[in-house]
Amino acid sequence: MNTQNILICGIGGQGVVLAGKIIGLAAYEKGFDVKTSEVHGMSQRGGSVSTHIRFGEKVSSPLISKNDADIILSFDIYETLRYAKDFANRNTLVISSGYGKIPLWTSTNKNDRISIAKIVEALKINFDKFLTINDKEIAVNLGNIKVSNIISIGLLSKFTDIEEDFWLKVIENNVPEKTKEINMKAFLVGRNREEIIGI
Amino acid sequence: MNTISRAGKIAKINTALLTGNEAIATGAYKAGVYVATGYPGTPSSEILPYLARFNNAIVNWSINEKTALEIAIGASIGYKRSMFTTKHVGLNVASDPFMTLAITGVRGGIVIVTADDPNMHSSQNEQDNRFYSKFAKVPMFEPSDSNECLEFTNLAFEISEKFDTPVILRTTTRISHSKSVVRIEPVYMPNLSKDIDSKNHSEKTYIKDIEKFVMAPVYARKRHKIAIERLKKLLEFSNNSGINKIEYNSLDFGIITSGISYQYVKEIAPFTSVLKLSFSYPIPDLLIKEFVEKVKNVVIVEELEPFIQNEISSLGISLKGKEIFNRFGELTPDLVEEGLINSGFIKKSNNLPSNKNKKGLIELDSILEKLPQRLPALCSGCPHTAIFYALKKLKIPVMGDIGCYTLGALPPLNAMDSCISMGLAFGAAQGLSLSNSSHKKIAGIMGDSTFFHSGITSLIDAKYNNACFTAIILDNSTTAMTGGQDHPGTGKNLSSDQVMSNKIDIKRVVEGIGIDEIYIIDTYDYNTVYKTLKKALSSKNLNVVITKRPCVLYPKKIDLGKKFKILEGCNGCDLCMQTGCPSILNSDKFSDNNKSIPFIDNSCIGCSICKDICVFNFIEEIKS
Repeated sequence: MNTQNILICGIGGQGVVLAGKIIGLAAYEKGFDVKTSEVHGMSQRGGSVSTHIRFGEKVSSPLISKNDADIILSFDIYETLRYAKDFANRNTLVISSGYGKIPLWTSTNKNDRISIAKIVEALKINFDKFLTINDKEIAVNLGNIKVSNIISIGLLSKFTDIEEDFWLKVIENNVPEKTKEINMKAFLVGRNREEIIGI
Repeated sequence: MNTISRAGKIAKINTALLTGNEAIATGAYKAGVYVATGYPGTPSSEILPYLARFNNAIVNWSINEKTALEIAIGASIGYKRSMFTTKHVGLNVASDPFMTLAITGVRGGIVIVTADDPNMHSSQNEQDNRFYSKFAKVPMFEPSDSNECLEFTNLAFEISEKFDTPVILRTTTRISHSKSVVRIEPVYMPNLSKDIDSKNHSEKTYIKDIEKFVMAPVYARKRHKIAIERLKKLLEFSNNSGINKIEYNSLDFGIITSGISYQYVKEIAPFTSVLKLSFSYPIPDLLIKEFVEKVKNVVIVEELEPFIQNEISSLGISLKGKEIFNRFGELTPDLVEEGLINSGFIKKSNNLPSNKNKKGLIELDSILEKLPQRLPALCSGCPHTAIFYALKKLKIPVMGDIGCYTLGALPPLNAMDSCISMGLAFGAAQGLSLSNSSHKKIAGIMGDSTFFHSGITSLIDAKYNNACFTAIILDNSTTAMTGGQDHPGTGKNLSSDQVMSNKIDIKRVVEGIGIDEIYIIDTYDYNTVYKTLKKALSSKNLNVVITKRPCVLYPKKIDLGKKFKILEGCNGCDLCMQTGCPSILNSDKFSDNNKSIPFIDNSCIGCSICKDICVFNFIEEIKS
């Protein structure tokens, strides 16, 4: 198999680093060579952040080349737009939260802003495989908004060469003791979402 | 790709997916490090906490890098292996002991880990610390992945003792914060249990050796000559040890590289011959000569400064490097590809990833133009926000410093005027006041960890020299920017279950200097913050304002359990938006005079500063 390139993006503090850890470890458990690259420090204070994950038979660079991501997983729709431009190509699977934290608009003019609807429309035109997921709503229904990332990871897992058992093992070992059950449940909910059909 | 899981292979027990920092800690553990010290700094901060998990070395945060290295030196004089970790600029702080340690040499091995930050993800400059190696005549390793971080750290201790020299292990952000697979005996894996066999540390009894460790001129002159001689032996090692190696491939195209750049080269141009410099100072002159003789076209791929290029040029060999690749920022696979296309190594092709399907992207540019950059900001409920908001209102010059609060310089707060080095603020405040260029009293501002790092000395200097400014110490009881590390003011340390730490009281330190006018304030009470700062800034004395409110992230997340909302009727005056609080956002609603009406989202933790600031009383707590 060729190297699989997964880019996770979002806002500092949203759990991008932990999501990268789980995906990287799942690939590692499966037996792939894995490299990841994350951002610490200043950008973690609410800035725009990303983690690169690459796995396959042999991986050299920890960074994904421009427009060479196989999957983009985004926890914020505005950030999806930003990173898809740089890292996605026509065939990239783009999985994005349907939610977005409103950025600090530089202009007070309504016309200088972009709506989420407009972003979704543009992403749909550009990427054949574009999925939005109401991760936060599903998470709240499951009883804990904090599992929203795991739901998205569950959805993503369907498009990797890594079987369910590896994912569940990694999640079990890397979330707080008390939240193990709900995280594993959330993962399976994501993994079995109907959005997957047709992709 | 075979589908057998690692669980089914014996290899499983011998590998782990680690960051470079974790691998360095593991390598140090394997080498039997006895004392490890450092001061937190991105991207080096995770090495010591990871090492502390092994529970068999003494691992401590120090007050600053100079002290950290001095502790490591003392341990080495006592025949124990020691390690000092720092970010690139921290080695500047420790450079005084470092430059002379380079000539005294060591007893127990000393490894100095310097983590550089090309592209300044979280730094104030992007200096290339490889030059320290040449400057001090000290050997250097440059790992290119986590497995090498582990192996080279372990080896560096041996080299240090064998050649009687401190050794630099130089990483960059993409090495420190990248994960890759390491191979390691299970016994060296992190284990939280306390009954791991402890290493056989040296049990020698201290004896003095003034010719080695007293660098008075009479002895230092001798030691300097020894250090120069040592360099010759290191050069031989660099050429013959096999650590630096040539991977022959195409004899038409060759690349000399080191560190993370090696990985980009292997990704982009696997057909080229490569001379990989892992022990990159002193550079292996014989290997380089062999390589350029055998391979027709050779270029140098290195990040930041032309370090390798200059060394090679001093051998009388002229190769291209910085003519093709930037001297600033990080390299990426794309930049390496671009450079290699420009130097004729690879042909531009539509099959290259960078061109793949790019033409498919429609209209994204025009939308993206409207999307503002998402800059980092102080957290919701950050105890620093009220101070910067008040300083902005007071319109005074503010000499600033390095920490989360550097974000107080960015819009919308715009309330800090300098960020140059750790502990700059009080020195610069004294100097700026001496310049007589402002008719307003100057403020200097720094955090608690920074105050301990290097603010105490400049505050003493200010008192000694009769300076007049207001020194503000933002005490949030942690080193927040780098992830919440302890410092002398917290009373805890990394191996605190082994060694008891003491808590140093900032107010008593300030009193001890002889400063009488001290204000202690709670930054969640905005009106008091404003009044106190105004009073302190109108006084003709050197005075100190200490804020007391814990960080909302470290050591644990704080949520006061209250939420606030903006009431109907808000006219969009923008005052609350000026705090920069990430919980206060623009809504889609506009007032009659076309001003954007803000709203408070559910990330609010209830600090109530915005309520104090809204002069129209349109912000109110949500009562459930």
